[in-house]
Amino acid sequence: MPSDQNGLLIEQIKSANETQQRLAIQGHASKSSWLPVSSSDGVLALDEHSGILQYEPEELVITARSGTSLAEINAILAKRQQQLSCEPPQLGAGDGTRGSGTLGGAVACGLSGPGRPWLGAVRDAVLGVELINGAGEYLKFGGQVMKNVAGYDVSRLQSGAWGALGVMSVISLRVQPTVAEECTVGASLSVDQSLSLCAQLGQRNLPITASYWQGGDFCLRLAGNQSGVAAACQALADRGLHQRQAEPQLWQQLKDHEHPFFQRPNSDSSSHRLWRVVTPLAATMPDFLTDPDKDALIMWGGGLRWMYHDDAAQVGEYSKAVGGWCWAIGESMPIAAMQRQIMSQLAKAFDPRGVFASPLGIAAVDA
Amino acid sequence: MAKPVAEQGSNVLTQHSAAHRAVLDRLLELLPDDCVITDAAGLRPYETDGLTAIREMPWVVALPETEEQVAAIVVCCAEHGVPVIARGAGTGLSGGARPHQHGVVLGLSKMSESLTVDPENRVARVQPGVRNLAITQAAERHGLYYAPDPSSQIACSIGGNVAENAGGVHCLKYGLTVNNVLGVRMVTAGGEIVELGGAVYDNPGPDLLALLCGSEGMLGIVTEVTVALLPSPETKTVLLAAFSHVVDAGNAVAAIIAAGIIPAGMEMMDKMAVQAAEAFAKAGYPLDAEAILIIELDGADAELATLNDQVTELLRTHGAYRIDEAHDASQQARLWKGRKSAFPAVGRLSPDYLCMDGTIPRKTLPTVLSEIDVISQTFGLAVANVFHAADGNLHPLILFDANVPGQTDKAMAMGAKILEACVAAGGTVTGEHGVGVEKLDTMCVQFTSEELAQFFRLKAALDPQALLNPGKGIPTLTRCGELGGMHVHKGRLPFPELERF
Repeated sequence: MPSDQNGLLIEQIKSANETQQRLAIQGHASKSSWLPVSSSDGVLALDEHSGILQYEPEELVITARSGTSLAEINAILAKRQQQLSCEPPQLGAGDGTRGSGTLGGAVACGLSGPGRPWLGAVRDAVLGVELINGAGEYLKFGGQVMKNVAGYDVSRLQSGAWGALGVMSVISLRVQPTVAEECTVGASLSVDQSLSLCAQLGQRNLPITASYWQGGDFCLRLAGNQSGVAAACQALADRGLHQRQAEPQLWQQLKDHEHPFFQRPNSDSSSHRLWRVVTPLAATMPDFLTDPDKDALIMWGGGLRWMYHDDAAQVGEYSKAVGGWCWAIGESMPIAAMQRQIMSQLAKAFDPRGVFASPLGIAAVDA
Repeated sequence: MAKPVAEQGSNVLTQHSAAHRAVLDRLLELLPDDCVITDAAGLRPYETDGLTAIREMPWVVALPETEEQVAAIVVCCAEHGVPVIARGAGTGLSGGARPHQHGVVLGLSKMSESLTVDPENRVARVQPGVRNLAITQAAERHGLYYAPDPSSQIACSIGGNVAENAGGVHCLKYGLTVNNVLGVRMVTAGGEIVELGGAVYDNPGPDLLALLCGSEGMLGIVTEVTVALLPSPETKTVLLAAFSHVVDAGNAVAAIIAAGIIPAGMEMMDKMAVQAAEAFAKAGYPLDAEAILIIELDGADAELATLNDQVTELLRTHGAYRIDEAHDASQQARLWKGRKSAFPAVGRLSPDYLCMDGTIPRKTLPTVLSEIDVISQTFGLAVANVFHAADGNLHPLILFDANVPGQTDKAMAMGAKILEACVAAGGTVTGEHGVGVEKLDTMCVQFTSEELAQFFRLKAALDPQALLNPGKGIPTLTRCGELGGMHVHKGRLPFPELERF
């Protein structure tokens, strides 16, 4: 049921200031296992604070309360042949016991979908937020228009903040028309072959909107109008990439982490430490992976590499050497010292008493 | 208790000549003599940026050649409490690079040599003084280009583009600077060098890179930028559609977007802008039109053929009485020339003009244009409207004569009224030109005192001494209070629980 909980949220924040309690902001808690959280914190529940406030397809913008489920947003957009092209993940959708992600959670965690290099990140879609800061003040930044340089970009700053800089109450996101035609082409390639092909094709004007490599299988998603996609399919067939039937669920599985690669059974004796390694597109693969076919999954034209590996030092060194970064899912977010210092100062500026218990560990009290 | 940050504003030194002496000595130690400008003739070109109505002579101009020099200058200025005003090519339109009479202008024009294109990773790594267009020119031989193309792209620098989050005519499809920059190296207010992002598509933590874009040199000084490059489109088509009613043109824009089409560019010009542009550029624009649309479509050959037919049909059903199609590059350049020279063309009609930069929801265009018409009649100054129709960014050009006493003030006041109309329509006071000094007053209309105070706390988090480009971007509460006739005493508002605007 749509409901405005602003009054309640502000009250809870103000009272937490007085009692010096820390509050963990929580939507559907679908990403709660991605970063370590402290169990001693109180919960600031956002899942009831929901409802779509404005949606005008011609303006390419949707405005909703942060607790609105992504499922609801995607459904209303689909009715008008539109979509969130940043494809935020809906985790645990099959679980049945909880929702599969809220708008607020999608923006706060800033996890972008399979189309990131071509279709933009979550932060790119953010046009404006209404925010409650640590003092319980209700503030509006950005708006519903695409071009806006009035004041600092506090709206996009929220993306990736995991709630350290306030509670987003209302969010406006840019939406995109759904493409007329989508198809998947693929071929059997080694990891190195796939990376090199991606780099070559990336320099050509092709309607690529996602890429995938795992276990010797390479796929590209093409999207656009019918004649454009048909022509691209033809051109790629000449490069040995052939159209696949019924592959849309591949891209949905990648978006929502339901791909079998992410469901490694506990009985499996190999590593269960899953790394999200962000690299430049054409970076070479590390040599410490003994069996990349089994232990690596590559997306974003080479820019996002999931790896199972136990040795944190090796993954860290590799990421640094190629100019990227890595994060083991479920462990704390690695943020370099200088950046961490800036983020902590910002957290203090928005939440001087450290009311918000962000799992990033940059809140004022942690500094 | 510490003074509220909101009151600090430009809390810079006033007459500490000893501090200035020390800074100058250090500058001369750090830089070659010809990179430190102190004489009036040498300082003159720096007294203004593209907003020429507002001038101030800088105290000194420093032209560092390396990142280390930038850092050392910032450290020294911080130590002595001297403001630092970063400046790129000086093409900004809002006075963001306006100098400070007691401050150092840090001109980054000499840091314009290094430009590395990395085609495999589809990025270019460039120094801040590199011109926007130079990036595309260097990437072209790899079939790549840098998408944001502000109309000053021949001259403006990438560092300045980051500072102002520069746009251009292709924003709806390709985004602004913030959507196309992947990383920066910057010198903090404390003189430390920090890297935000890189040649990667994702970064941990709050999006500092997005925060830096459009921050007008107030949060850090950019010393290197990594931009994303895109494959150049195979084909382009440019369409010109003429309408007898502005409302029809607005409806055609809405219909194209509703049909799921995102054109590379979609520009609207009203009758006065069309006539000025045609007299200047001889682009073949229809002089009898009340409004024209210029639409650019791009993509692969096969894709474009159907797209072109679809758009033409939509234009026709929405009342376009003439549609010209340009398929070859020279015809396209001619159609664009009129639009791209609209500002200088209007400049020929009138001794002076003031360019506004509001953004509005597209659907409110007819209403806002008629409001602008009323405002124009009330003030007795003519307006030509140029509109980035695709993304809702409206540039009303107010025609006036600075030599007629009072007209400059009148034009400024009229501009403020227009921006108020944009905010009332659900828009914003600046889409792509930045706040600088020009729009400080209108910022008071858009933001509450609590929001402005939050901006100041954010600024203080990164620049506690308020020395980076002080007095720009965010108006002080005192300033807003005076404007609105509100009595602000020591940063406390009467009845703080009430909405003010």
